[in-house]
Amino acid sequence: KFRMPTEDNLVPIRLDIETEGQRYKDAFTWNPSDPDSEVVVFAKRTVRDLKLPPQFITQIAQSIQTQLTEFRSYEGQDMYTAEKIVPIKLDLRVNHTLIKDHFLWDLNNYESDPEEFARTFCNDMGIEDPEVGPAVAFAIREQLYEIAIQSVASAREIKISKKGRRGAEHAISSKGGGNALDLMKLFRYNSSVVRKRKEWYVYEPIVDILSNEEVDALEAREDRNTR
Amino acid sequence: MAAKSPVKEPPGTSAVNPTTPLAPPPVKPELPSSSEPDVVNVPSYSRWFSFDSISECEVKFLPEFFDSRSPSKNPRVYRYYRDSIVKHYRENPSRKITFTDVRRTLVGDVGSIRRVFDFLETWGLINYFASVKTLKWEDKETKSSAASAESSSALKETSKRLCNGCKTLCTIACFACDKYDLTLCARCYVRGNHRVGVSSSDFRRVEISEEARSDWTEKETLQLLEAIMHFGDDWRKVAQHVSGKSEKDCITHFIKLPFGQEFVCKESDSEDVDNKFFSINNPSDAVSESENVGATSPSKRMRLTPLADASNPIMAQAAFLSALAGVEIAEVAARAAVTTLSDVDDRASKGSLMRNTRQQEAEVASNGDATQNALARASVDASSLIEKEELDVEKAISGIVEVQMKEIQDKIIRFESLDLQMEEEWKQLEQVKNLLFVDQLSVLFHKSNARKNGDRTEENVKTDVS
Repeated sequence: KFRMPTEDNLVPIRLDIETEGQRYKDAFTWNPSDPDSEVVVFAKRTVRDLKLPPQFITQIAQSIQTQLTEFRSYEGQDMYTAEKIVPIKLDLRVNHTLIKDHFLWDLNNYESDPEEFARTFCNDMGIEDPEVGPAVAFAIREQLYEIAIQSVASAREIKISKKGRRGAEHAISSKGGGNALDLMKLFRYNSSVVRKRKEWYVYEPIVDILSNEEVDALEAREDRNTR
Repeated sequence: MAAKSPVKEPPGTSAVNPTTPLAPPPVKPELPSSSEPDVVNVPSYSRWFSFDSISECEVKFLPEFFDSRSPSKNPRVYRYYRDSIVKHYRENPSRKITFTDVRRTLVGDVGSIRRVFDFLETWGLINYFASVKTLKWEDKETKSSAASAESSSALKETSKRLCNGCKTLCTIACFACDKYDLTLCARCYVRGNHRVGVSSSDFRRVEISEEARSDWTEKETLQLLEAIMHFGDDWRKVAQHVSGKSEKDCITHFIKLPFGQEFVCKESDSEDVDNKFFSINNPSDAVSESENVGATSPSKRMRLTPLADASNPIMAQAAFLSALAGVEIAEVAARAAVTTLSDVDDRASKGSLMRNTRQQEAEVASNGDATQNALARASVDASSLIEKEELDVEKAISGIVEVQMKEIQDKIIRFESLDLQMEEEWKQLEQVKNLLFVDQLSVLFHKSNARKNGDRTEENVKTDVS
């Protein structure tokens, strides 16, 4: 059954609204079991706190609502649940902190907690900016969400293909292992669990603190990219 | 021609290469100055709050964290939200924190964070401060430090506000846009004379009546004093009576008025005070009566509380009028009044005091210093008053002393008589004791006799029998 493969079933919501020359970008996690009235309340609060023009209220509310409904539409559908260890990549910039990381995540562990990971990450890396934690958690969650959606899609395909073909298992393994590692291959008896030294640099977290100019340059580049 | 030899840095030792990843740490935003960094105000109904525990109040209002309906909402998470929000606020208690600030720094779903935030705000554990006005200025200052340089300099001057559009001084009311740090006068705002991208709904109306507020006109001071005379300590009514000033303003202005100083520092110099009072007395209409009454016994009390003595409203009025007008003016007016007064002759029947003073005045006048006439007369009168008063005081003191002595004497007499009584009783007691002793002796004697007799009779009986 579809759900976020994490302990708490929270939806990552991303907002990017532009009205009257003003751009509002934000990303946060939402609890889908909150009533919908909460959406408008949140939108109003945010607009008031950030002193945005009131047109934003409706737009923010709409955006959140759409993403929520999308999430809910997946609920109740089947997820493809095979053993899947997926790589998660972090590549984000929060204020002055640049983070790059790459690690493996177990999709079937429904007790996984991106928030906990983010907290530990910030503590271990000695990150002072308190906004980094939530951003990291959000990035992880977003990717997990994507993967979950894909798994729903693949489950549907498999159902269709199951009806037709016989070599379903073969299809499964090739489909499911699109970006997931095949555990079987990895943990064969003649290979060890310890990662090869030459691969260490791939999986190492990098935390950079940028200066103001670099931040401005990056921001300009991002804006250009999105336009 | 002097050879120029400027000192040039060799190009090799230039500044730090900015492309290294170890750039300086991010610039922390300026914290606006807070008046009391160590004191945090918490309303009395939120006394239950403590960082170490969760109180029933919290469980009641935010049950979602405590009923284990969802695995991510547990007391630990609640405490994490609550503690970080409160700490965030207490870093700078004079600044109002918004929900959006906080939720960006907390890991978790925004719905529950918002509920915790609202709970803390309603219970005054965050964003609880008395004055909102300072907040506005501080917000502007923090934002202006972060904003672009063009508008920041104009806005740093919070006392005088220039319009960004037409560069005129803002009076009465202006419109401020916090987002872009713009200030527009009313005219520019109406005309829409602001930057592109800024809508008119961004602007907030800001009243500029602080300048007018700090000036106290004569009329207002008069109203204030009247109100104080009537209502005494009820500052609310005083503020109502004075148009346009708040309670606090009234109180501060009243304290600043020159009354207390004049009277307090002149207490030691009684002559001056009497002089002043004499001069205060004179300008009033009911002349002689107030001279008699006001100058002698109540003068001491009036010295200290000139306004509180409403029993003599004329005195009070005169006192405050003189205070209003200033010392020199009052003195001059008093002198003028004294001269006119002495010219009026038919009030001499009211007490020898007047006659004395008149005689003294006459003497002084006959001595013939025309210009110092009024002043000399006044001082002579004052000194005679002083003497009289001293005599009165002495008499009173001696009377009191006599009475006390008499009391003590009576007490002594009483004690002596008591002593006598005691002695007599003591003697009686001794006598009685003696008698008792005698009785005891006789009893013993008889007893022993009786015993001897008894033995003898027994012996007799025995011998008889045998």
